[in-house]
Amino acid sequence: MTATMGDPAAGAGPVEPWDGERGPAQKPEEPSLSAGEWLGRNLFSSPVNSLLTVVFSLLVLLAVRGLLNFTFSEERTWRAVKTNMRFLFTHAYPQDQYARIWVCVGAIAVLSGLSVGLLARAGRGISMKKLSMNLMATGGVIALGIVLREPSAIVDDEGVALHRDASAAGGDSFVGWLDANAFAVLVVLVLANVALAVWFHLQGTYLRGGPEPRTAHGALVLVSVGVLIVQQYATGEVVRESFADAMSDRAWWWLAAALLAGAGAALWLGLGDARRRNTFVPAMYVFFVGAGVMVLSAWVYPWGHYGFLEGEFINEPGRTVAMTTKLPWTVMLVLLVATFELGRVLRAAGAGPKLRVPLNLLWVLTPFVLYWAVLRDPDLDWDHVLSTDLPMAVFFAAFGGLVVWFLAHPRIGEAGRVIAVVLVAVAALNWVAAYFGWYPMLQKARISFLLLAVVALLAHNFAGDRAQRMKLVAVWVATMAVFHWLVTLVNSPSTVDTPTDALIGGFGITLIVAVFTLLLAFPMGVLLALARTSKLPIFRVLSTAYIEVFRGVPLITVLFFFTLIFNLFLPDNMTLVDIAGATIGFSLFSAAYLAENVRGGLQAVRRGQYEASDAVGFTTVQRTLFIVLPQALRVSIPPLVGQVIATFKETSLLAIVGIFDFLRIADKVISAQSEFLGVKREGLLFVSFIYWIFAYNMSKHSQRLEKRLGVGER
Amino acid sequence: MTKNKALLWRALAVLFAVTLIAASCGDDEGDVEVTAPTETAAPATDDEPADTTTTVADVVDDTQDGDLLDTVLARGELNCGVSGSAVAFSETQPDGSQTGFDADYCRAVAAALFGDAEAVVFTPLTAAERFTAVQTGEVDVLMRNTTWTQSRDTEVGMDFGPTTYYDGQQLMAREGDGFSGASQVVDIAGAVVCTNAGTTTEQNIADAADAAGIDINLTTFEDFDQVTENFINGACDVITTDGSALVGRKANQQPAGENWVIFPATPISKEPLGPTYGQNQSRFADVVNWTVYATVIADEKGINSGNVADMAANPPDAEAARLLGAADDEQQSNMGLAPDAFYQVIAQVGNYDEIYSRHLNPVGLTREGSANAGWLDGGLIYAPPAR
Repeated sequence: MTATMGDPAAGAGPVEPWDGERGPAQKPEEPSLSAGEWLGRNLFSSPVNSLLTVVFSLLVLLAVRGLLNFTFSEERTWRAVKTNMRFLFTHAYPQDQYARIWVCVGAIAVLSGLSVGLLARAGRGISMKKLSMNLMATGGVIALGIVLREPSAIVDDEGVALHRDASAAGGDSFVGWLDANAFAVLVVLVLANVALAVWFHLQGTYLRGGPEPRTAHGALVLVSVGVLIVQQYATGEVVRESFADAMSDRAWWWLAAALLAGAGAALWLGLGDARRRNTFVPAMYVFFVGAGVMVLSAWVYPWGHYGFLEGEFINEPGRTVAMTTKLPWTVMLVLLVATFELGRVLRAAGAGPKLRVPLNLLWVLTPFVLYWAVLRDPDLDWDHVLSTDLPMAVFFAAFGGLVVWFLAHPRIGEAGRVIAVVLVAVAALNWVAAYFGWYPMLQKARISFLLLAVVALLAHNFAGDRAQRMKLVAVWVATMAVFHWLVTLVNSPSTVDTPTDALIGGFGITLIVAVFTLLLAFPMGVLLALARTSKLPIFRVLSTAYIEVFRGVPLITVLFFFTLIFNLFLPDNMTLVDIAGATIGFSLFSAAYLAENVRGGLQAVRRGQYEASDAVGFTTVQRTLFIVLPQALRVSIPPLVGQVIATFKETSLLAIVGIFDFLRIADKVISAQSEFLGVKREGLLFVSFIYWIFAYNMSKHSQRLEKRLGVGER
Repeated sequence: MTKNKALLWRALAVLFAVTLIAASCGDDEGDVEVTAPTETAAPATDDEPADTTTTVADVVDDTQDGDLLDTVLARGELNCGVSGSAVAFSETQPDGSQTGFDADYCRAVAAALFGDAEAVVFTPLTAAERFTAVQTGEVDVLMRNTTWTQSRDTEVGMDFGPTTYYDGQQLMAREGDGFSGASQVVDIAGAVVCTNAGTTTEQNIADAADAAGIDINLTTFEDFDQVTENFINGACDVITTDGSALVGRKANQQPAGENWVIFPATPISKEPLGPTYGQNQSRFADVVNWTVYATVIADEKGINSGNVADMAANPPDAEAARLLGAADDEQQSNMGLAPDAFYQVIAQVGNYDEIYSRHLNPVGLTREGSANAGWLDGGLIYAPPAR
């Protein structure tokens, strides 16, 4: 039982076991509370709590109202975002090549579907009770939003809001009076709440749970909402439509709210309390239905279309501009559902454990393939491929395979070590030679040789029988094949012709930089953490120095160095492209932070684990790979995910070093288009929303991962 | 033990042999590396670090030693540095294309070089990185509303082409606050004057206020969008920046019921904007400069994209004939260009007036009466003779 760490309750004896130790089966079955009872117990349980509830609900309502008024105000030019939607996501990626973007999205959909279907623990899914409550709550929130938002301003033919006469404002009507005294009225309402609470308290009825105090306080909240609504008519200098008009204008929203709440209510009423709580649906199905409704609605109402085609703005809002949004998304959804089901079938057939490793490898490989093979569409020089690239790949695969085969011999002993050291020396010499220009050689030969040397060093840890050695050789050959293929792709010019120097920008570059940064930074971070805890002082000192330097320098400095200054140090015929520089800068920086997170995990691995692995005769590499790292990484999941989210959000700094990422387009480019001069807030709100969706999902996913791996419980 | 030793020797022998082979392979590769750039336009670039997200830089940068004109002609594309977010000068459209006055001059140079106005790769640059981009060879020429100043021409190491747009810093205020087009700097005494931080506009207005002997309340914001926002909501009485930007803002953002006025008529600073390139590349500089001059001369002679074909067939005078490549004594061949280089510029992009009117008239900037009128109309737009 390792749960005692940091848990004060554990010392108090076994009388009150804490939640983590109590299995779900032991939870006492409590019948669901009615809404009134729930409110009474949670929100209005004492005079002070009631006061807090009322005050904070009012604050929340005011904030929500402000956000809604801002978002849906007639002053907002959402057309700027709609028109630039494709631009925001992929910058200048050519329209006639757009299928490539969708192939990438499709590949990710296929992989996600397979992974979730095949690997994820199904769990019990979402209970009907939770589902129906969520549906009803969503409907309720939408309805509240519809009511809270101020009525639209009445605009003239040119879209300019009509202003009321200064003399007419206020007036002697009730509405005018309310507007003038809105703040006072709200203060009075809050004071009334205090008075009520005190009175009920003195009467002694509050804590007995009678319905009166709750009803009174609930009514107060409703009256306050009413004040806010009524006050809207006379707000500001702009003439607004009547409340009834506003409500009927929002008929579509009412319909959405009614459908959601209706579906929730039907579920709630259709099932008894026990069935509500004990019927579960897989979370993915709920997601599929939700996504399906969204996609379907795009076919009914053209909200998904952007209005810019071949240099012309399409002003008709209802007109369909090419089948660029709804058809692809439909295909993506179908792919996702199909691969999810395929994954479930495979899992039922028992293929889960076998496919886990290949699937994870695919995930690692996918970004490279998608970027260089699909998005960049390399223009391969076949003469060069056949005369140089292919023979070299074959050579390294064969030669390296031979070396690995030798070195994985179980009885190789010291001989293997000597050969490996020789190989490392040759590989190092290769790089020294490159530095002095002694003998020219393709860079990828040098890298292949270095890889071989590293594998040679590690080979004896994986020594085994014939089958085992064959497996090792196969892994080496596959590595060489993939490596040489990718390097050939990277070195070929792209056939995709964009009007600017960047292949892709916008959210695309945000994702690409974030993904490549993580792929580079993660192994680096783990190695740095291992080096920092190493017994060899040279490793320890170097790694500590690296980490302290990079943690002590602001990220933006690192980025400026790699995008602006680094090129000045390079030889004449070499340049580092902005995006590559930025990715390297981000990676070096994130690696330092990831290293510290992993080091924390390494220190949480107990001494006994090291001793035990020594006792069974593990080598250092085996101990690290199979005993220490798995435990260390499990412990460090929360900080690691925190770092991942931070890195993802930090990519917005690309805007400052002059790369056209998501944020820079919204902030600088759209506001400089003649049509949308100075229109900036809409774009920024949209960008924050998209960032939030991704960051929130990552954080949710990490919570599930923690639960699955039992972080903090054992 | 003996078996181990035998294994070791065998392995070492194989290793040695293979290293030899690898080294000799490497030599072959080296030859390929050395010869490739002269043979093909797209050399094998295996020397690039493999772990970078490079889009392959298939062109050798040698602004220091080689001739830029030859490099650019061999590449077949002009790398042109623009702002990408300057209204009417270089705007990035929703499909990623560049439009505007500066963008069109990039196209004009490409048309002169390659006969194809679309052979341009636009590199949007921030103000901070623009000169570095020229120095590292990332771009061949800057068309990025860059003011020609002494320090940039000397210390920074840039060279400047002919000015294509004479700009100057002005002020904008509300008519309702008692300002008019005839207002002077002294009239803004005590006003809240807003501009964007870290630019020369800040220094210019402070100097102008000092010279006029008045006190102003200078407030700065991070960018000019914020400045305009604060002007609209009343936090600023007067805003100041280059006149071209003020006119654009007035045309697009002036609320109904207000009238914004721009003054003084004589700007408080001189901002000549034009093409900028690295030092000591005379042949390339000649091409850029004469492309600009060609558009100006064509404007003087009334040659535009609509009538250029007729004009080339029946040249109005000898100069036009030379410029359009219709005469034997044309000078374009001596510059390393095709004889019809400037014909292509006019046909594909247009003359100065066309380029100006296309982009700057819609935002309210007109040539009449400004420094950007032709020299015959009292402006400063002037070109040396083509002979």
